[in-house]
Amino acid sequence: MPEMEENPKSPLPLGEVERLVELLQESGVGEIRVRQGETEISVKARSEAPVAATQAAQVSQGFPEMVEPETSPEMDGLHSVRSPVVGTFYRAPAPGEDAYVEVGDAVSAGQTLCIVEAMKLMNEIVADVSGEVVEVLAEDAGGVEYDQPLFYLRPEAE
Amino acid sequence: MISKVLVANRGEIALRVIRACRELGVRSVAVYSTADRDSLHHELADESVCIGPPPAASSYLNIPAIISAAELTGADAVHPGYGFLAENARFAEICERVGLTFVGPSSRTIAGMGDKAKARETAAEAGVPVTPGSDGTCENAGEVKSIGAEVGYPLVIKASAGGGGKGMRVVESEAEIEDAFLGASREAGATFGDGSVYVEKYLERLRHVEMQVLADSHGTTVTFPERDCSVQRRYQKLIEESPAPGLPEDVREGLMEASERLVGALGYEGAGTVEFVYADGEFYFIEMNTRLQVEHPVTEMISGVDIVAEQLKVASGGRLEVPSESLTPDGHAIEFRINAEDPSRNFLPQAGLVEVYNPPGGPGVRVDSHLYAGYRVPPHYDSLLAKLIVHSRDREGAIRRGLRALDEFAISGMETTLPLHLAVLEDEEFLRGGVTTSFLAERSLESEGGLLRLNKVHA
Repeated sequence: MPEMEENPKSPLPLGEVERLVELLQESGVGEIRVRQGETEISVKARSEAPVAATQAAQVSQGFPEMVEPETSPEMDGLHSVRSPVVGTFYRAPAPGEDAYVEVGDAVSAGQTLCIVEAMKLMNEIVADVSGEVVEVLAEDAGGVEYDQPLFYLRPEAE
Repeated sequence: MISKVLVANRGEIALRVIRACRELGVRSVAVYSTADRDSLHHELADESVCIGPPPAASSYLNIPAIISAAELTGADAVHPGYGFLAENARFAEICERVGLTFVGPSSRTIAGMGDKAKARETAAEAGVPVTPGSDGTCENAGEVKSIGAEVGYPLVIKASAGGGGKGMRVVESEAEIEDAFLGASREAGATFGDGSVYVEKYLERLRHVEMQVLADSHGTTVTFPERDCSVQRRYQKLIEESPAPGLPEDVREGLMEASERLVGALGYEGAGTVEFVYADGEFYFIEMNTRLQVEHPVTEMISGVDIVAEQLKVASGGRLEVPSESLTPDGHAIEFRINAEDPSRNFLPQAGLVEVYNPPGGPGVRVDSHLYAGYRVPPHYDSLLAKLIVHSRDREGAIRRGLRALDEFAISGMETTLPLHLAVLEDEEFLRGGVTTSFLAERSLESEGGLLRLNKVHA
């Protein structure tokens, strides 16, 4: 298990992982994720695809927002807006300015939601549907991966 | 020392680099495409970043995405592995510019050796024997004709930007030159974006022999005993071994000297391979690969040196730590490339679910692979599934070990080159050693009681 070397300063919260695994089995949910300070623990059920044993428990540090969310917003009728590039996520056009959008805002298709900066290039990310901003999934000024969900929108009823 | 290395690759070689990092106490960052979400390199690295969709051009060749991933994770070095961006001078230059240590030689050296015609000139200037042929590139068919008149036929026209047989034409006589020149130039232009070609005398019965080198920034260079990579199919190596069977000692010394001269002339730093052809007792330089090679474990097995670890040390500005006794071959090693290709159907590429994966074990056996049972081989990338390397006291022992290990190796869910390797190890000429690069082309594959057999079709 490579993750064992993750946290040189504080001992690994193995007890926590064990408790989460139990909870996961009892509850029957697909994934449990907890975060305390810089340590994030994510425990996934082995249901979707055959996966390597190392995937059963993950403890990562330093780049928690890089962990790929496995939830399916589509199930709740939500639409995810994903990052088209690897870069840094900015909610506002410039430091100190207001965020492009806040949770609860109504947005229309084509409206800018955020910026993802990659190699000094500011990529404006726009809503591809009209609707309401339900959740902002990435942290301001944090790193985002390709295909990482940035926002959940609830599309306008037809 | 480098503290965090971004591994700009996938598959077994990404794992190889991550493993070396782990042993050195260096943190590793994997990058992966959405087709590689279930890949081991993504699982085993300390951190990982998804860089793009499945096509390599949008992910593993996507320089901005890879540089951004390095910046975001705070990596201070990039290891390119082999293939993808490993010999891309522009990528190395961008890394240099943004302050990332590129684990490899300088962008200038990569560019110099990437231009095959220029590399030939550089080698000749350094006193390394090159195949008779053109000085630099040939501008027109007329120039090719005058070289033909000088060195004789057959000739081979090669792409200056090329490799792997693309933009390459063999001409038997002057009458064929016009068509071959245009064909090679057009193909080179289409494949590499550079249509320039050069000409060499075509050597027909030759062996592919190459020299692994390592050089640090303190002026230390080591040259390992040669590898023989003559068992190839369409310029793709299938089996590599070290040392080369039956190679005279004076030829070995000549190869080592020539490699050192070239490395010295280049002021080379890092790991590299100087490739030669060997025919009728003479050897000639063909090219230098400025990167880690697929077959590096063959050298590791007979030297006990971890070449990837040395690469990382050199990139950190450290000194090479290679004891002189590791430059004398300890026994014999052979590598077999297990590819997702069906040897019975003209090596048709395979993809899909790996149902059973049971690699061989026991003494003298090493398997470098990214497979596991349940892994799905994506159709987007190269077909290498695993490298099996066997090591024994002598060649005969290595062959017996190879037969045993290949027989143990179980991969189900797709056809692989495993049965082909077993057939090669039954071939009398291979067993004698010293086969030429036309070994496989001269044989047909026949199925016999569920096993493959090689039959020699013409002399």
